Amino acid sequence: MVEAMNEFGVLYNDEARLYFQTNGFLETGSLNLVTGIYLDYRLLDTLFEAGILLVAVSGVSWIAQHDHIEHNPLFMLDRFKIPELFVSIARVLYPIVLLFGIYVVFNGHLAPGGGFQGGSILATALLILYYIDLNKKTNLTRIFFIEKVLYLLLLLISSLSFFTRGFLFTNVVSPDMGVAWQSVFLITLNVLIGAKVALGLTAIFIAFLKEGR
Amino acid sequence: MNELIALGFQLFMLVTAIAVVFQKNNFTVIILMSVYSLIAATLYMFNQAPDVAIAEVAINAAIIPLIYVIAISRQREIIVYDTLHHGDITPGKVFEGEIYTYLYTFSKKNKLRLNVCSDLEGDDATLIREMNVDFIITKEEETYVLKGKSHHMLMKKMVKELKQHPHIRTELIEEGHDLD
Repeated sequence: MVEAMNEFGVLYNDEARLYFQTNGFLETGSLNLVTGIYLDYRLLDTLFEAGILLVAVSGVSWIAQHDHIEHNPLFMLDRFKIPELFVSIARVLYPIVLLFGIYVVFNGHLAPGGGFQGGSILATALLILYYIDLNKKTNLTRIFFIEKVLYLLLLLISSLSFFTRGFLFTNVVSPDMGVAWQSVFLITLNVLIGAKVALGLTAIFIAFLKEGR
Repeated sequence: MNELIALGFQLFMLVTAIAVVFQKNNFTVIILMSVYSLIAATLYMFNQAPDVAIAEVAINAAIIPLIYVIAISRQREIIVYDTLHHGDITPGKVFEGEIYTYLYTFSKKNKLRLNVCSDLEGDDATLIREMNVDFIITKEEETYVLKGKSHHMLMKKMVKELKQHPHIRTELIEEGHDLD
């Protein structure tokens, strides 16, 4: 443990950093220590963060709700001339962005990234789709339903550890089973968070489009 | 060397932030804001925070500008619901009639985009209150009737302009005092 003064005379120590560097990988099974912290040590905070996004999405959709029959909810986009250059480059970029988002989600425990970042990249890909295909129709209520189910699954899977290890909100697999089994849990949670974030951001965007007409 | 590059990026970031404040064109502001967050992401990389950098790029340089583009393109648009041509409006086609030429010159004068649509359902009051339709066009024999909110700024302008017009009549719809 190192205690030192920085140039402003404030005392700081690197106890926590050294602890995570020496024990983080062994305890959580995650090479990326950030993922190790938000999916193991501080899983409860992540659950509340996901809950805040859910509340935000439902608030936006409640403000933007319409009970009218809408033949073409994206009507305003076809009046709003999209440059052809943008559309043709977006067609090329769409699969690449989608693939990169999936890579970031699945590799969250090995490399920088994770559920939230990958989910927002996936959401970008889905939003590009609305600029390419103007007549795309989406069932918003189904998106909200899937998002709620994903959140419940997240709560359920993260509280499973109470039965296997005796603590709430930590890895289901104990460190003795090996890193490979622990990373299964990390990948599952990352995929759930990624899908939830992508659907939530897309739902906000569609709500804006509908409100916009 | 690394510190010098980081200092350069910080100065560039300051310049973009000041440019955002002084720029008048809304779309340029959006581009400048995403440039700003790209520089911020680079600085996060310099400070060994790749996770934060990815989140910054994905949210502030991609999703937020896309949402802003939608919101701002809405701001400069008037939506007119046309009951005369029900269901047969093709984009780019120009209709003949005094009301259309009037609306066209009005939107040109106020630098707005005209959006005439016909595929909505519902009665006048709910359309105007809930669907953000600005004006509704109907026809009574030879005179066109233009309906709009009574508190709408553009509607007040139009009422003033159309007082002497022989073929266009304006009609105000009182707005309910519900949420706002």
